[in-house]
Parts: sequence; C-alpha cells; structure tokens
Amino acid sequence: MSRIASLKGKKCFVSFLTGGDPNLDKTYDYILDMAEAGADLIEIGVPFSDPIAEGTVIQEANIRALSVGTTTDGIFDCVEKVRKKTDVPLVLLTYANPVYTYGKDRFFGKCEEVGIDGVIVPDVPFEEKAEFSEEAKAHNIDIISMIAPTSDERITKIASEAQGFLYIVSSMGVTGVREKITTDVKSIVEKAKASTNIPVFVGFGISTPEQVQEYTSYADGAIVGSAIVKIIAKNGENASEELKKYVSEMKAGTR
Amino acid sequence: MPVKLKICGLKRREDAEYLNEFQPDFAGFVFAGAKRKIDFETAKMLRETLDLKIKTVGVFVNEDIGFIRRLADEHVIDFVQLHGDEDNGYIERLKAVCDLPIIKAQRIASREDIKPYDADYYLFDTKRTGEYGGTGESFDWSVLSDIEKPFFLAGGINLDNLDGALKIATEKNAFALDISSGVETDGFKDKNKIQETVRRVRIMSNSASTDPNSKGRFGIHGGQYVPETLMNAVNELEEAYNYYKNDPEFNQELDRLMREYAGRPSLLYYAEKMTKDLGGAKIYLKREDLNHTGAHKINNVLGQVLLAKKMGKTRVIAETGAGQHGVATATVAALMDMECEVYMGAIDCERQALNVYRMKLLGAKVHPVESGTRVLKDAVNETMREWTNRVSDTHYVLGSVMGPHPFPTIVRDFQSVISREARAQILKKEGKLPAAVIACVGGGSNSMGMFYHFIPDEGVRLIGCEAAGKGIDTDKHAATIAKGKLGIFHGMKSYFCQNEYGQIDEVYSISAGLDYPGIGPEHANLKDTGRAEYVPITDDEAVDAFEYLSRTEGIIPAIESSHAVAYAMKIARDFSPDDSIIICLSGRGDKDVAAIARYRGVDIYE
Repeated sequence: MSRIASLKGKKCFVSFLTGGDPNLDKTYDYILDMAEAGADLIEIGVPFSDPIAEGTVIQEANIRALSVGTTTDGIFDCVEKVRKKTDVPLVLLTYANPVYTYGKDRFFGKCEEVGIDGVIVPDVPFEEKAEFSEEAKAHNIDIISMIAPTSDERITKIASEAQGFLYIVSSMGVTGVREKITTDVKSIVEKAKASTNIPVFVGFGISTPEQVQEYTSYADGAIVGSAIVKIIAKNGENASEELKKYVSEMKAGTR
Repeated sequence: MPVKLKICGLKRREDAEYLNEFQPDFAGFVFAGAKRKIDFETAKMLRETLDLKIKTVGVFVNEDIGFIRRLADEHVIDFVQLHGDEDNGYIERLKAVCDLPIIKAQRIASREDIKPYDADYYLFDTKRTGEYGGTGESFDWSVLSDIEKPFFLAGGINLDNLDGALKIATEKNAFALDISSGVETDGFKDKNKIQETVRRVRIMSNSASTDPNSKGRFGIHGGQYVPETLMNAVNELEEAYNYYKNDPEFNQELDRLMREYAGRPSLLYYAEKMTKDLGGAKIYLKREDLNHTGAHKINNVLGQVLLAKKMGKTRVIAETGAGQHGVATATVAALMDMECEVYMGAIDCERQALNVYRMKLLGAKVHPVESGTRVLKDAVNETMREWTNRVSDTHYVLGSVMGPHPFPTIVRDFQSVISREARAQILKKEGKLPAAVIACVGGGSNSMGMFYHFIPDEGVRLIGCEAAGKGIDTDKHAATIAKGKLGIFHGMKSYFCQNEYGQIDEVYSISAGLDYPGIGPEHANLKDTGRAEYVPITDDEAVDAFEYLSRTEGIIPAIESSHAVAYAMKIARDFSPDDSIIICLSGRGDKDVAAIARYRGVDIYE
C-alpha cells in the first residue's frame, strides 16, 4: 500500500510549504517539524517563476526561494534527506513547465528515487493529463487531480479517474487566506465521494482550526498553504516553534 | 508530417456544416461527371458556408480554363485538381491565368503509369475504383516509393480499410488521403462516417503522443493547460465561438463594425519611394496602422467583445504589453457598454504612459502589475488569476494567438482578415502573389493574421521577425524561436525562453509589444513544418527602420512593426523588381515617439 493510501479512513491535516523558502536547510527542518506536530501529509512547492494559481503570499515565497538559488534538483536532495527521517506522505506541487523541461521521465524517476508519493500540477487539467500520466505511472507516482467550484458535471469524470487523493478547491480564484468561503463545498465533496474511494481533501482559503473541523466533518482532510507560508515569511529561519504550535492546533481541528 | 484529409464531392449545405464540425483539411467540389457534379452557384454557397480553415479543391475533367479562372478569382476554390486528360500544355495555359496550386490526378496500376506533370501535387487513384485494400486484389502500393511530389491517395477508401490506408499513407509519406463515397450513405455525405474518419485520421497520423481528449493542437503545440477552475470557461467559450462563427447575424454585425467602426478594409499601399531606394522587390505596406485605435488589435477585440456580449458577459478583462490591445479593448468596451479592466506590467505602464491615460479616458480601470518581472508575461499571469476569480460574468479578451485553446484559433480567425484582404488586393494590383510577406512576432497575432491565407500558397515566403533586443547572443532579447525551448506555459505547449529548470526568462525588447517569452502554438508548428521562417531583429535595426520609413514614406510605424520593416530593408535587394513583398504595418508609431527620442538621447517625456 502506498503512503497516501494508508491515510484512508483517517481525518487528515495537510500542510504546504514552498521548497527553498527561506532556504533548503530550513525547508528540511520545517518539514520534519510539521510531521512531528501532526501533519498527515506534506505538500512541497517546487518554486516556479510564474505560479498562476497562487495568490500573493505564495507568489512571494516562490520569488524568495528562487532568489536564493533553489532548483528542482535542490528540492529532490532535500526530500531525499527528509525521507530518511520520516514516513509522512510527501507530495510535490509544481507547474507543467518545470516538470516538462526537467524531462518527464527523469522528473518522475527522481520522485520515485527520493521517496515522493504524488505530484500536483495545477495547470494540467483532466483533458491534458496524458501529458504526464504514463511517466508518472511508470515510476509509481500519483498525479493528484483537482476539482473546482466551477467543475459541475466534470466532477464525476475527474473523481472516477483520480489517484492518490482528490484535491477539492474550495473557492474561486487563487490560493490565499479567506475570511469566508461561500462555495457549497459539502455538495461537491459528496458528489466526488460518490465516484471514488480515495481520500478527498479540501484546500484554498483555510486558516483556522474551526474551518478544519467543519471541512473534516464531511471531507477526509483539510489542506493549508498560505497561512503556513505566512508564518515562515514572518519568522524566516526561526519559524520552527510557531509552525509546530500552529500545525498541532490545526491538527486538533480534525479530531 | 501528419497525413491530411480531403473529403470530396460536397453537394449540400449540410455537407459543408458537417465538415465545419469535424474539420478535415480539404473539401472537394466536383465540376464533372454526374453523381456529384455541382454548378458555380452551389460551389460558392458551399465555400461561404465552410470554415476558412478548410481549403477547397475544385475537381475538373478537361474543363474550360475560363471557368476555373472564374472560380479562382472569386475565391470559391483554393486548389485545382485536374482529373481528365490534361497535359503539360494545358497546365501551362492554366498557370498563366490562375495562381492556385494544381493537383494532377493519375489513375495507376503500375509504376509505368506514373507520368511527370508540372503540377504541385499528384493524386493517385486506382485504375479501377472500389478495389482499394481488403479486396485481395488491391493496388500494388510499392510503386508509390520515392514520388518526387507530395501526393494525395484516393480510390475506394472507407472506414473498413481506413486503418490500412493510413498505415500505407504514413509509410509512403503521402500528403493526404482523399475520401468521397467512403463517407456516404445512400449517395449522401454521412455525418457519423465523416466524424469517425476524421477522428481516426487525426489519431493515427499524429505522431505526438498527446491525449485524444486534448483540444486545439497545432502539430504537437497548443492544448489547454489551465487550472481546473477555468476549464468550464474555456469550454463554454469554445462552444459559443463554434456556434457564432457560423451565425450569419453575428458575422453581419462584425462585418459592419469592421467596416464602419474600424475602417476596414485597410489599404495595401505601394511604397514607391522605399522600393526605388532599396532597389529590389516592390514593397507594399498593409496599413493596419490606419485602423481605428491605430493597430491591428481592434480586429480581434471587435470579434471577441461582440462574442462576449452574445454570451451574456457584462465585464471584460485584458492584458496588455505596449498598451495597444488594452486601448482597443477599452475602446470596444466603451462602444458596447461593457465594464473593462486592463492589466499592464508596471514597467510597461511607465514606458507607455500615454496609452495608460487613453485607457482611463475610455472608461477602463488599469491595474499596474507589480508581480514577477512587471511586464507583459506578468500581466498575462495576473489577468488569468483574475479570470479564475470571476468567470461567470467576465470574458478574458486575450490579445494574441496564444493561451489555451480556443484562444489561438479565435484570435487567428479574427486577425485573418488581414491576409484575406491583402491576398485579394495584391492579386488585383500585381496580378500575382507576393514573393514574401513579413510581419513582426511577439505572441504572434498580426503575423498569424498576415500569414493565414497565404499558408496554402507555397511559393509565398512567410517571414516572422522576432525581437532580438540587444542581440541574441546577449541575455537581453525576446527571440523565442531563435533561443527558446519547447515547454508548457500560459495554457499552451510551444516554444519559450526559459532556463534549464523551466523557469521562464525575463525577456527584453525596446518594443513593449514584442517583449514576451513565448510564441503562439500555430507559429511554433509553422516553424516545425518549415512553412514559415523566423528571424531576429535587434533594437538598433528596428529603430533605424522606424526612422527610415518615417523619412522615406512619411509613415511613422510602431516600433513593433519596425522590426518587419527592418527585415524587408535587408532582403528587398535579393528579389527581382517583378516580385513584391508585403510588410504588415501592424500599428502606428505615435505612441513610440518619446521612447525613440530617448533612445537617441533626446530627453522627451509624454
């Protein structure tokens, strides 16, 4: 059973950080901190010059990471070290071009080698998934599918072919903390769950334990990115304590 | 090269509509025989119904040359197929009055039957039809090795033997398959058979391992690489466009706006002084700078905003580089009572301050984009982000032949008016096609518009001029074809300036409109197939051309268009005075005057 599949039946807290922000040594520390504090799955952003699905918080983290010279190879080295310390499922989030240009087979081969479990590529929708699916499959890497508030009749076909976990985008627009989420997330989750047995997680705009509690009452987990990246932006190399505290509070929301 | 498909023997309007839906490459009109023969008027109706993308082939048997000429002059047919006993003498007489590519059909059973003709293509039919493949008595295809001209394969191809025919066509490097009765039921074209035939030809002959679900491909390029949040929006747009592009009311309205608001058709101006001074080919300027708002951008914007209006949208958003597309969008939004917001890189806002003010004057809200490199690429990112935020009432008026499907096709179609007019204008003035057409390329909208109707005219060189900035050996350029690599960005697979990890480069050009790290997918495919050539032009060369045209013809060109003028200046002498070259003068240069002055050390601000 893959590491992601082992999450089945559990209520999960998923945390995201941008690899290389503020540097890769700290990324190594922060991943282990978050795992220790109870994160059930960790997404690592591979920084990209033009992250079109991200709001300003994560855009800026991408710029910080690139400005200290973070590369895809650097991220792989970091993950390789992390993997020696923890069995927490690890997923990369990046865009189509860094994967394509690295070389599809080389990229997924490297993922397998260092212990990555899945890859999220927000600018590759259902219609284009054949772009990477063969190479990912050959290296036992799950490509994570996303469902948006606008997906409507697309939900069933996306969910029925999804692998790893299903990422439900709670809101329109880009990533970022939101005061209020107006989408009827529950009905989307229910529709998705009718077509798949894999875990269904909700992300975008989540920052409080109360939101985590609400979403995990019907979904299998909640994903938090911008709120964590903000903590790292604020504390730079000294974010460990605040991160651990935040993650354990958020994890408590799943119980 | 993927094998193309010709569906022959159209008779009814619905036949043309089926073809529009499934998009084979060629439609055949038969002007001989009994079963599928049609007259001039029917052919004209079919041409008007068919998408421009589908090229029409007139099929003739020992026809009167005057009749073929009339069909060609009225643009009813794009290719001539000679299916009778026409000899080289006949072909010579035909060529004297008609510029269309010629296909000579030959009925063959053995290699000896293949005769040389002065045609552009051959078409091979079995000596006795209906015996193609699967009959056990099939034609000996080995005779088709080493044919020196591109050829069509015909003769009893149907769904039962299609896969075999495709295999042979691929092995023998055939140009296209030709199918007629194979897609008919009871003597009429059958929609389902056409659909299945096109589907199988596309899948089998497309060497790229792309998903058959993926839409909007030009060779391996294009596609729809956008976040899931936008998929319904691009699907809705595609559906609406496919409906309205064939809607007579929509087309009449657009045509009226193009004529009465934008000022079309634009002039094809013979630049006599420039011609004499350069001493070579006759130089013609396609004067898109004379359109309302001063550039070709209005052609696309009128089409898209009208489409958005029909779709019930009340708000339009757009990215802009030099500001020309933003101004055009703000203009048409004002005309059509739409809310308008324009995203423009903060650096470009500074370079083109006058255009920022123009947009505001027209009632648009302008957002200076501070993210990333603060130029056109970042403006596209920000407009896409805003679109994911609000799609239900908002249309994204993308300004170039780029982005996810259907944008490259929509923008190309609306801009193709440039070459549709220019082709007819040059034939009228010169009696023959130009030796070359030249246009500048950023994302590639004016060049795609300028190339499109000349693509089937293989004798016409298509030349795109990229911004080489301070030189392609420096890191200050925007020459995507010269220096870029294959990648996936801004919704499309194409060529991009990027580093070894796929990070998109910061690009540079004196021209804000060419300062883009990618190129539209159809251009990328024209580059791959060798149909078009792309050349880098430096800032210095463009500025020289800017000043040269101003001085010589009294026309101040946009600094973008000056890149095309510069290349024409380089190559004019390589042609004979009988040849002509058309330069797409995509915009006027008033907006650039202060920047050029500064480039020359004169400190002027708008």
